[in-house]
Amino acid sequence: MSATTIIERPAEGATVYHPKTSEAAPAVSVRGFSLWYGAKQALFDNTIDIQSGMVTALIGPSGCGKSTLLRSLNRMNDLIDGIRMTGSISLMGDDIYAPAADVIALRKRMGMVFQKPNPFPMSIFENVAYPLRVDGVRDRRIVQETVERSLRGAALWEEAKDRLNESALGLSGGQQQRLCIARAIAGDPEVLLMDEPCSALDPIATAKIEELIDNLRGQYTIIIVTHSMSQAGRVSDNTAFMYLGRIIEYGETSTVFTQPRVQRTQEYVTGRFG
Amino acid sequence: MDAPTRAQTEAGIPAQGARQRRPDAIRPDDLRAEGEPWTWLLGGALALGIVMVLGLLLLVAWNGATTFWPRPIEVVTLTDGSRIAGEPVRSQAFRPGPQIIAELPPGIRARIAADGGIADRTLYRTGNYDLYGDDFRWVPDFQRSAAERPGDMVLIERLEWGVFVGRIVGFTHDGERTTTGDPRNPALEAAYRAARARWAEIRRIERGEIGTVNHHLEAERLRLRRVLLGDHPPAEREAAERRFAAEEPRLTAAYQRLAAAAQRLRAENARDTIILQEIGGREVTLPLSAVVRLVRANDMTLTEKIGVYLSRWWEFLSEEPREANTEGGILPAIFGTAAMTLLLVIAVAPFGVVTALYLREYARQGRITAFVRISVNNLAGVPSIVYGVFGLGFFAYIVGASIDRLFFPEKLPSPTFGTGGLLWASLTLALLTVPVVIVATEEALAAVPRSMREGSLACGASKWQTIRNIVLPRAMPGIMTGLILAMARGAGEVAPLMLVGVVKLAPELPIDGFFPFVHLERSFMHLGFHIYDVGFQSRNSEAGKPMVFVTTLLLLALIFLMNIGAILVRNRLKRRFQGSQF
Ligand SMILES: Nc1ncnc2c1ncn2[C@@H]1O[C@H](COP(=O)(O)OP(=O)(O)OP(=O)(O)O)[C@@H](O)[C@H]1O
Ligand SMILES: [Mg+2]
Repeated sequence: MSATTIIERPAEGATVYHPKTSEAAPAVSVRGFSLWYGAKQALFDNTIDIQSGMVTALIGPSGCGKSTLLRSLNRMNDLIDGIRMTGSISLMGDDIYAPAADVIALRKRMGMVFQKPNPFPMSIFENVAYPLRVDGVRDRRIVQETVERSLRGAALWEEAKDRLNESALGLSGGQQQRLCIARAIAGDPEVLLMDEPCSALDPIATAKIEELIDNLRGQYTIIIVTHSMSQAGRVSDNTAFMYLGRIIEYGETSTVFTQPRVQRTQEYVTGRFG
Repeated sequence: MDAPTRAQTEAGIPAQGARQRRPDAIRPDDLRAEGEPWTWLLGGALALGIVMVLGLLLLVAWNGATTFWPRPIEVVTLTDGSRIAGEPVRSQAFRPGPQIIAELPPGIRARIAADGGIADRTLYRTGNYDLYGDDFRWVPDFQRSAAERPGDMVLIERLEWGVFVGRIVGFTHDGERTTTGDPRNPALEAAYRAARARWAEIRRIERGEIGTVNHHLEAERLRLRRVLLGDHPPAEREAAERRFAAEEPRLTAAYQRLAAAAQRLRAENARDTIILQEIGGREVTLPLSAVVRLVRANDMTLTEKIGVYLSRWWEFLSEEPREANTEGGILPAIFGTAAMTLLLVIAVAPFGVVTALYLREYARQGRITAFVRISVNNLAGVPSIVYGVFGLGFFAYIVGASIDRLFFPEKLPSPTFGTGGLLWASLTLALLTVPVVIVATEEALAAVPRSMREGSLACGASKWQTIRNIVLPRAMPGIMTGLILAMARGAGEVAPLMLVGVVKLAPELPIDGFFPFVHLERSFMHLGFHIYDVGFQSRNSEAGKPMVFVTTLLLLALIFLMNIGAILVRNRLKRRFQGSQF
C-alpha cells in the first residue's frame, strides 16, 4: 500500500498507525481504553503509544474526546461522578489504573497545564513552589533553586524575578499560563500534559509558549491538545487525529499532515471540516 | 445608480432616523410598553422597607442620643396654688374624664368643649420618689397658672430613690452645719469631692480587697471539703484540717481589719451630709457620698451641659446598674453581650465549617446528604425558645451536672456548671446559628472554581491538601459572611438566653483576677434582656424608657461594630483573590 493512498472507509474502530522513524521508547501506553460518562460513551477502544521525550499533538474536532483522553492519563477524571473505564493505561510500564496504584504519586510524575490559566491566589513564588510544598519540602535553598529553575524553564524568570512575592493574579494572561507551565515542571515530572494551553492567549504569548515547548522537548514527554493545525505542525513530532471518541490516525506530524491515509484526517487537516 | 433611487435612499434614511429619535418611540415612559408593568411595585416595596428601617434607626438614635442631655427644671404653679418642680418630658393631647371636667371653672370647660373635649397636658419628671411615691406627674395645661425656671433648682442623681429635684438648703461637714443655697459654694464642693473619694475607697476595699480575702477563704473551705468528701487516708484529712484551722483565722483577721477600715470611712461619710428641700418645703438630708451627680439644671453654660452629658454617657458605659437597672451603667451587659457573641463565633465556626466540608467535599452526594441538608435548613426555622429549653436541659442539667459531679463535688449542692451560664448560653446560640454557617460555607465551597482544585490536584496534592491550601482560603470570604450572619442573629437573640444564663443583675464580670480568669460558668447580663427588663419589668416604665432607647442604641452599635469588624476582615481576604486581569 502506498503512503499516498486515501483509505475511504477504514474498518470500523480501526486506527491507522503510520510507521515510526524514531526509536524512542513509549512513555505512556494506552491499550484498548474506553470511557463512559454515565451511560454516554466518550472514548472507544483507543490504543496509542506516546513516545518518550517527544511532543505529541492530539487534534480533532470539538467534543471528540481529546480532553477526556488527556485527563484519563493523570486520572483527573476520577473526580467526576459516574465515570466508568475499561482497558489500561501505563506510565513507564506501571499500570496507572491498578487498584494499588498511588494516584498522588502518579500525578506527581505528570505535570498538567490547563486550557485557562489557573494560578492559585498566592504569590508567584508560592505558586511555583506549590508542588514542593505539598511534597513537604522544607529546605528553603532547594525551594528557591527549584522556583528559579522552573521559572527560567518557563521563560518567565526575567519578567517575574523582581515581583516574586506579588500576587500571581496580577500577571497577564500569557504570563499566568507560563507560570502554570513553571508550576507544572517544578515537581520535575516525566510527562507534561497540556490541554489547549494557548487558546486563551494572543499570538505573541502563543509564540512564546510554543518556543517554550520547543525548548522543553527532549527533557519531558509532552502531550498537547490543540485546535490549531499550524500549532500542531510547528511544535509536535507526532500527531494523533481523533474523531468521535476514536483515534483515527496516528503517526509523525509531517506524515499525518501531508500524507494522511484516512479521508476524515485529510479533510480535517486541510480545514475542510471540523 | 439613477436619480430616483438616490433620492429615495437619501430621503429614506433620514426619515427612518427621525422616526427612531422620536422620544416616545425610543424611551417608552409607559412601563407596560417595556413589558415590565409591575416594576413600580418592586421599587415601592423597597422604598417602603428602607423608610421603615431608617425610621426605626432614627427614632432609636435620636431618643438614645438625647436621653443624657441635661434638661431645665420648671417650677409650675398650679391653679390651686400648689407648686411642682420637674423636667418637662413631653406634651400630648388628651381627653379629660367627665369628673375632671365637671370640677373645672366654666370658662375652661367651654374652651375644652370648643376643642372637641380635648386638652393638652405635659409630663414632668418630678423625681423625689421617696417623698411623692412617683417619679412623674402629668400636668394638664388648664391647671397651670405660671411656670418659671429659677436658677437655684438642682437635680441630684443619688445612689437610692432615683433623682431629687429641689433646692440646696445647706450642708454639714464633720458634723458642722453651714447654711447655703448656692450649689457652687466652694466648701460644699470640697466636702463633696472628699466624700466621693471616700466612697470610691470604700468600694475598692469591699469589692477588691475584701473580695480577694473572701475568695481565698472560700477556696480554703472548698479545699478542705474536697479532701473530706474523697476517700483519702486519715493522715491527709488531718493535714487538711490543720491547714484550714491555721488559714481560717488568718483570713478572718484580714477580713475584719479591712471591714473595720471600711467602717471607719463610712462613719466619716455619715458626718458629711447635704440638706435639700423639695418644692413643697419638705427637707431631706442625704449623705454627700450618696450624691452621684449634682446638676444645676437652670444655671449651666453650654460647656457645663456638655460636661454633664459626657459624664452621664461615661457612667452609663463604665458602671454597673443601680436602682433596679433604671440608673447607673450597663458595663456588665455590654461585656456579657460581647463575650457571648465572641464565644458563639468561636464555637460555631469550626463546627459549621467542618460539617459543611464533610457534606460538600467528602460525603457521597445522594439521598442521605440531601436529607441532612433539608434537616439543617429546617433547624434554622425552629423557634429559638426551643433551643433555650434544649440548652437548659442538655447543656446545663445533663452535661453541666456531670461536670459538677466529676470536677466540683465540693461545691455541691450549689451548681457550678450545672446551671445556666456564659458557656451554655454561647453553645445554645451556636446550635441556633449553625445552620446559617453550614449553608453559607457550603455555598462558598461550591463556588470555588473547579479549575483551582484541578490545578492543585494535578500538582500531586492530596484532597485534604487541596482543601486546606486552595479551597478553604478561597471560600473564606463566603464563610466569613456566614459567620457575620450568625453573629448578627446570635447577638440579637434574647428568648433562649433567659433560660440558659442571662440574669437581671450580675455585676460580677465573667473575667477577673482569679484563676482561671475567665469564668464561663457564671451567669451574665445581656443588652437584649436588659432592654426587656428595664422597659417592661421595672417599677416605673416611664423611668426606664430613656434607658430602653439608650440600651437599644448601644446594642445596635455593638452589633454594627462587630459586623463592621468582620466585614473588614472579609474584604481583606477578598482582595487577595482579585487579580488585575479579567
Ligand atoms: N463531565 C462530563 N460529563 C458528561 N459528558 C462529558 C463530560 N465531559 C465531557 N463529556 C462529553 O464527552 C465528549 C468528549 O468531551 P471532551 O471534553 O473530551 O472533548 P474535547 O475533544 O476536549 O472537545 P473540545 O475541543 O471542545 O475541548 C463530549 O461529547 C462531551 O460532551
Ligand atoms: Mg477539550
